[in-house]
Amino acid sequence: MVYKTIIVESNQRMSDILSATLKKSGDFEFLSAYSDANSALGQSHIYKPNLFLIDVDNPDLLQMLPAFVDIFPNANILATMSNWNADIAYKAQKAFITGCILKPFKAEEVIDTINLYNRRGKYAPSRIISFFSPKGRSGRTTLASLLALNLAERTNESVALIDADLQFGDLPIFFDLEPSHTVVDATHDIKLLTPILFAPYFHNIKKNLWILSSPERPEYAELVETSNFIEVVRMAGHVFRYLLIDLPAGFNPISLEVSNFADTNFVIAMINTGLEVDHMRRTMDMFRERRAKHKVDYPIFTRVNPCTEEEREKLELRLGYPVTAIFPNEYNLVSVANSGRILYGLPNDTKLMQIINQLSTKIISGEL
Amino acid sequence: MAEGRNSIIISIFSTSSGNGKTVTAINLAAGLANEGYAVCLVDLDLQFGDVTTYLKLNPKYTIIDAQMALERKDPNFDVLNYLTRYEHTDDKGNGVEFFVLARPTAIFDAYEIEVPIVEKIINSLKWFDFVVVDLNAAFSAVNLAVLDLSTIINYLGVVDFLPSVKNFKIGYDTLIRFEYEESKIRLVENRSNSQKLIRGHDVERLIGTKFFHQLPNDFRSVSQSVRDGVPLMFSAPDASLTKSFNDLAAEYTGKQKSETHIAEEEKKGFFAKLFSKFFG
Repeated sequence: MVYKTIIVESNQRMSDILSATLKKSGDFEFLSAYSDANSALGQSHIYKPNLFLIDVDNPDLLQMLPAFVDIFPNANILATMSNWNADIAYKAQKAFITGCILKPFKAEEVIDTINLYNRRGKYAPSRIISFFSPKGRSGRTTLASLLALNLAERTNESVALIDADLQFGDLPIFFDLEPSHTVVDATHDIKLLTPILFAPYFHNIKKNLWILSSPERPEYAELVETSNFIEVVRMAGHVFRYLLIDLPAGFNPISLEVSNFADTNFVIAMINTGLEVDHMRRTMDMFRERRAKHKVDYPIFTRVNPCTEEEREKLELRLGYPVTAIFPNEYNLVSVANSGRILYGLPNDTKLMQIINQLSTKIISGEL
Repeated sequence: MAEGRNSIIISIFSTSSGNGKTVTAINLAAGLANEGYAVCLVDLDLQFGDVTTYLKLNPKYTIIDAQMALERKDPNFDVLNYLTRYEHTDDKGNGVEFFVLARPTAIFDAYEIEVPIVEKIINSLKWFDFVVVDLNAAFSAVNLAVLDLSTIINYLGVVDFLPSVKNFKIGYDTLIRFEYEESKIRLVENRSNSQKLIRGHDVERLIGTKFFHQLPNDFRSVSQSVRDGVPLMFSAPDASLTKSFNDLAAEYTGKQKSETHIAEEEKKGFFAKLFSKFFG
């Protein structure tokens, strides 16, 4: 495929550099360059372009991105930036363009970027879903893993599981893998990365599913600054359409900040002695006090027996908050996770998997 | 460090919550108190600690009040004023009494707790023969400070699930890497005889050291104990778990285990075998 390209660039020197780069490549047909949006929008259709490279260092051009998407719905539109700016990149994504790229670039980087964003899925901001639990052994990692697998399978978009349980993360053991990169590397390097350079930090474990692991030693958690971790999440939003983040138990800077940043936060507690309902209530109270008003957190109880609507209502009454879902215990799953077979041995015909499917449907539809 | 005080500090630590730390801390404290020792149980699971909920206590003061008094340099500060007394006597007149330093009521206050103040508070509990500290499951600054102060670290694990075994090993290796003496770390396996695919013996081989003590699985007795808000010695006096907690307490007091007791355990198959293996 040849990319018939229009450059919209307010810096003349940069425009010359970019067009010269494209002209040297057989994969591109350079059509024209404009320095303002109106000229580009008014004249480009004559050339039937299938790629726009639009300078978003210029706030006026950033603002005009929706117009390009509207008039050229079948063209790839890349926002070009001199330095990676997560806020601008997010605004560009909200205009439903293909993606963002740093300039100047090599011709093959443009192709790699387009391919990466196409692999990512729908041109829209990512869904960021965090999994919080007041205490450990709640089924949090299991739930995050199962939802990730389900979303990857059903949406055919790219899904990433990020292990933010930095001291005792369990994702590698669940998926039987030895990752070459961890959250520590990613947070250390994040300021130097672009989506293309960042993508290989994730370990591909199945079609559409990737993992970023926690470090191998608990003390390495100290090396992860919360602000850098948030930058990792923001950058990952350009590589993956769904980000599922497994948080450490309890309130700490990472779990608070990430659950705040996520668009959806599940709060998970496993029914054991019954004291867990109190933990959940205190957690929800804390979130209600600290959150922005529009933000909703979703309580989920696991190992509920009997796992019935009546029991859910009882829990809701005791909790004083709506209960989003309840899960039964599934002994087979313990054995599956125990042996690193979670990719292959899911107990699909169980009530647990039905509820996962229902949750996943709500996430995909935007109900959650 | 540990100089300048007489109390024996036993911390209960693990690398995952839900391992039975609080149940162990409460029943160890009760067991020690039952032998006539002055015991203080400190709940340093600052956000979601269950000591007061379990024992159905409504503390007037918590550790945050003690911290505030120390911060304002209250000349009359006495840590005893911030403790909550727990006592229970059964129908036969058998009773137990110990003190509790409660976690903050509000989660947000847990954030405010300062490491040097925790050290000061723990050190000021020297009136007690034993201070049992219930920690949360992380290598946090507070936990490390308390582990430094501890005479004994009861490192607790439920090793029924591969991720738990991994975390148990990582936690132990980290403690060793942080240069805690091996003699100070006592591995305690909880729910040792529950139905599981992973054997305690294999875990010992993996970690490279033996379990110091193994607590049997008895979910029913623990649930009853939580419902009643009393230690197991009152809610399930004859349960093997209760006896196992008594034995754990006896390990720290030097009290002999009764022959009857051992004989009873010997009848109970799997656990008895493990028990006799370690305690002969």
